[in-house]
Amino acid sequence: MRGLPTAVLLIVAGFVLAYAHTFNSYWMHVAIIAIFYGILTASWSLLAGYAGLFSLGHMAFASVGGYSSALLVQWSGIPVPLGMAVGVAVCCVLGGWIGWVCLRMTGPYLAIFTLAFSEIVRITVSTEDQVTRGMTGLHTVPLFGSASRLPYFYTAFGLLAGSLALMGFLLHSRWGLFLRAIREDEQAAAASGVAVARFRILVFAIASGFAGLAGTFFAHYNVVLTPDIGDLDRMAFIVVMTVLGGMERIPTAVGGAFCVEFLLEYLRAFGIWRLVIFGILLLLTMRFARNGLLTPLWLQFERLGDVRTAHPMLRDVTHEAGQEGANG
Amino acid sequence: MNGLPAREAEDAIVGGTALVKRFGGIAATDSVDFSVAEGDLVGLIGPNGSGKTTLINLLTGHLTPEGGDVVVRGRRMTARSPHEFAALGVARTFQLTQLFGRMTVLENMLVPGLTRPGSTRESATAQALKYLSFLNLIHLEGLEAKNLSGGQQKLLELGRALMLEPSVLFLDEPFAGVHPRLRDQLIKRILELHASGRTFVVVDHDMESILRVARRLVVMARGRKIADGPPAAVRANQSVLAAYSGL
Repeated sequence: MRGLPTAVLLIVAGFVLAYAHTFNSYWMHVAIIAIFYGILTASWSLLAGYAGLFSLGHMAFASVGGYSSALLVQWSGIPVPLGMAVGVAVCCVLGGWIGWVCLRMTGPYLAIFTLAFSEIVRITVSTEDQVTRGMTGLHTVPLFGSASRLPYFYTAFGLLAGSLALMGFLLHSRWGLFLRAIREDEQAAAASGVAVARFRILVFAIASGFAGLAGTFFAHYNVVLTPDIGDLDRMAFIVVMTVLGGMERIPTAVGGAFCVEFLLEYLRAFGIWRLVIFGILLLLTMRFARNGLLTPLWLQFERLGDVRTAHPMLRDVTHEAGQEGANG
Repeated sequence: MNGLPAREAEDAIVGGTALVKRFGGIAATDSVDFSVAEGDLVGLIGPNGSGKTTLINLLTGHLTPEGGDVVVRGRRMTARSPHEFAALGVARTFQLTQLFGRMTVLENMLVPGLTRPGSTRESATAQALKYLSFLNLIHLEGLEAKNLSGGQQKLLELGRALMLEPSVLFLDEPFAGVHPRLRDQLIKRILELHASGRTFVVVDHDMESILRVARRLVVMARGRKIADGPPAAVRANQSVLAAYSGL
């Protein structure tokens, strides 16, 4: 991203952080949950939007991360941040393993495989109630002793910013290019020298790690953890948020999470009908704006202050080509 | 004329011995020997279903042979991944052009460029722009690959393969569906690259185009290699004539 859009984003972030203490408790909770979904949609966009791996098991990793951290902290008494780090590591390893198992799967086969994995996790967590307390809910150790939501908001904000920075770094490196090449055509990517299997496993591990991070934060924020965190409704939510925003760009996926979460709260008076409204919105998006509703806006925003017209190296090459032509 | 040409093994960049691959019980390649030496410009021809593309897939790691071995520069590469072949300088294009459609022309070029050890984005970009200029695609560098014409897509696929700075390039039907003017341009570029020391294996049905480029002709029919030698000698071969006329 160029200088001006980055500066605008930093100013907005600074403004939000400076005035966060003025939000009431209810809207701060909504903001924290929106950020939780923001990390999940960003990491799902990395997997499905960039690498083309349409996994429906993303919330299962949030569940695994949340329960791993909560139980470890409860049993061993280790500090919550350490428990969260272990939860993330567990999700990275498990995600890498799932990525390895489904190396040869794409499209609907991959979706069904990861859906089955997600259900296995959910049913196991529900059934093993002696360990997880099942649907009654596992009481977790809170991240902060304070009753205020403000420290949670700052933590969530920091986790989202850190996650986006890491994902941005990854996607702007050669790895980002390789992931998009794999999405476009695995066979051609392999013929171009890309180690397709390695990158598929890697992106599964990384995306699952971020899902686990969101899950661990949620576990120690919400204080009660139930198997609902990994159910299909939540996964559908992630898909809807990402697709409405634009799944091929991380900022639009995060924007989708924020818009949907805040609109759901704003339209609470409509009861269950608000979900129908979002269903219709999703249908219209798939029909008329497959790149997402926020993508055109984001592309305009990215072009702020853009005055360049050609690749800087292009001038040298065309100049050389012109000279060769003149000489030849 | 039907065996391996008399070449020293160490000359071969890529070689396959007794390669067997079956699909549903039908042998797509039936004990085929094939080797490519440094500086070769091989035309690989044969009727539909004769096993040309299967042979290329076996020699570039896209298929694993059920029998026989694939060797690249003396190293046994049977059952290795395509990216390992690419790392050893074995590049290819596909029968139906397979570009990264929603990536720009420049990004298509950068993918193989950045897989090379020690490459940086700057060096890969400079190299990509040089090849795009050579292929007359430089003015399209910012365009998504899916928006190129069929002929331009073939040229870009050739450019993408060149980004690996390969020892050998396998071109699978590069002239199919290409406008005659672009086909002439493609042939010219292949001959220029060959003159600069590149090794090629070109697969096509179009005998006229193949004869314009090939210095050695290999003919396949029903999964077997039926001829291998200088184009003039192969053209006079009765079994080749029979395979092409269906006799």
